[in-house]
Amino acid sequence: MRVEACDVQCVLNANRILKGVSMYASQREMVGLIGPNGSGKSTLLKCIYRILRPTGGAVKLDGRDLLACTTKESARALAVVAQHNYYNFDFSVQDVVLMGRAPHKRALDRDNAEDYRIVAQALETVGMTSFAQRSFSTLSGGEQQRVILARALAQQTPCLILDEPTNHLDIKYQLQLMDLVKGLERTVITAVHDLNIAAMYCDRLYALKDGKIVGQGTPRELLTPQLIRKVYEVDAEVYEDSHGILRVLYYPDGARKETVQ
Amino acid sequence: MKEQKTTRGFLRGTPAAALSILVLLVLLVLSLLGAVTFGSTDIPIGDVYGVISQKLYHLLIGDGSWGSGSLFRAIWYIRLPRLILAMAIGAGLATCGVVMQAIVKNPLADPYVLGISSGASLGATAAILLGVGTVFGSNFVGVMAFLGAFVISLAVVGLANIGGRANSVKLLLAGTALSSVCSAFSSFIVYIAHDREGMQTVTYWMMGALGGATWETDLVVLLVVLAGIGFFLTQYRTLNLMLFGDETSITLGTDLHKWRQLYLLVSAAIVGFAVYAAGMIGFVGLVIPHVVRMFFGTDHKRLLPISALTGAIFLIWADVACRTIIPGQELPIGILTSMIGAPCFIYLMARKRYGFGGGD
Repeated sequence: MRVEACDVQCVLNANRILKGVSMYASQREMVGLIGPNGSGKSTLLKCIYRILRPTGGAVKLDGRDLLACTTKESARALAVVAQHNYYNFDFSVQDVVLMGRAPHKRALDRDNAEDYRIVAQALETVGMTSFAQRSFSTLSGGEQQRVILARALAQQTPCLILDEPTNHLDIKYQLQLMDLVKGLERTVITAVHDLNIAAMYCDRLYALKDGKIVGQGTPRELLTPQLIRKVYEVDAEVYEDSHGILRVLYYPDGARKETVQ
Repeated sequence: MKEQKTTRGFLRGTPAAALSILVLLVLLVLSLLGAVTFGSTDIPIGDVYGVISQKLYHLLIGDGSWGSGSLFRAIWYIRLPRLILAMAIGAGLATCGVVMQAIVKNPLADPYVLGISSGASLGATAAILLGVGTVFGSNFVGVMAFLGAFVISLAVVGLANIGGRANSVKLLLAGTALSSVCSAFSSFIVYIAHDREGMQTVTYWMMGALGGATWETDLVVLLVVLAGIGFFLTQYRTLNLMLFGDETSITLGTDLHKWRQLYLLVSAAIVGFAVYAAGMIGFVGLVIPHVVRMFFGTDHKRLLPISALTGAIFLIWADVACRTIIPGQELPIGILTSMIGAPCFIYLMARKRYGFGGGD
């Protein structure tokens, strides 16, 4: 599925958060959004997954206007793993993942064997099978994040939207989760905080600052010390390590000048 | 440590829930049969069942006219309608409690705490004493109670949403405030009406009593409650989604807004007719869902039917207690449920962190 944002503008509480953002993710492409806090990454994602209504422009799924779809249709196209998933209730892990089947159900449909099979498979994919009957609220943040990913997988959508999915995760689980998402071969749009993660996993990146796109390209094209300086206002060094992986290192204020000179 | 926590809701498996529903159904029938033997006049148990089985037999063969004598009247026209009403209202209030807790995403909601019962009372008071709403026909008191319940439920949610999302404190404050407003206006109407007979009726309503049950009101209430429960049983998925919140629900394909209004309307119908038939019976909708969640978890597929059955059984026995606790006198049932329920409510509030069924 091709997901496209065309000149999306968004005004929240009289603040212009997005000032005309155009981007796309083609079929099975993993696209990352980078940018500092408050640059509009989450707002853009929320416009794409329908929580916010753009005040201008449009979001299109395979060329069709998102707002022309019913909420059920868009939920069958896009699954979301949002930033914050703390719920004050006591559902079992299986109950939570089973909710991923909701967009495929009409009011009177019961949950059938097929649904339970899909749920079991999703739990297996994220390595949480043995947690199925556990209470969701007793899990650690990382475990909860994986359960929410399983719920998104159970939605069986062609596209996945992730809003900083690796926040609060241990390094091991950060890599595990991104490996998993990468292996799904779906269209993925993800906001990424960590440039090294972005460089390792994303096919293409968009850099956002103050509600505008200030650069785009493959990680290798985009992630330059100049761009990082411009977007994040820090000094950085970008190099390829012995495995051919792009690495970004940051320097504290002043240190960079001394080493360069 | 974690193992211990998982034991919360240990009956959450589907087979266990199905079995529990069956057991509760049997218990409900047994409760009806058991409770009918209690009463202010001593009637031998054998006579009680004799009268009921003979009447049922005559109904079955199409002879509805059978039955006379004081023994028959006491059992068929006083004890049984009252038990059926207790059953219907217990089930209805427990269901409304479950639904309202989902609507406001807060486990402390119930029709009484949220002021909805007070709204129903105001509607009924206005209807009885001032004759408001006679255009609605012979059941206009019920219709007015329903309208009062519905308007107040909208007002509470509206008031709690002013200046940001509703949270538990704002909902409770809005409920308490509007409840006071309704009580004040009810009292005002009672005062200016100067209608001794009407005043007695209103007082009886405020305290809640099942004594006025007749087969006619039973039928109306039972139909409304059964229709309401039947409707909500089909809505378990959306009710579950409500606990995930608006944003998650949209990404899972359901916009909750219109469902909230609809559920509120159906709940108001149940509460309105319950109040019409038996007055204000508080805290059933709060305590029953809580107890059920502790055993069965939060999934509404199980929570709804089990809460309804538990509520029905609870109110049947609460009514028995009302009739027997003070010899020769009858305690209004609203007083009893509040005396049990209010301390439970305080306990739940005082707990450090209350959730949907624990996990703390």
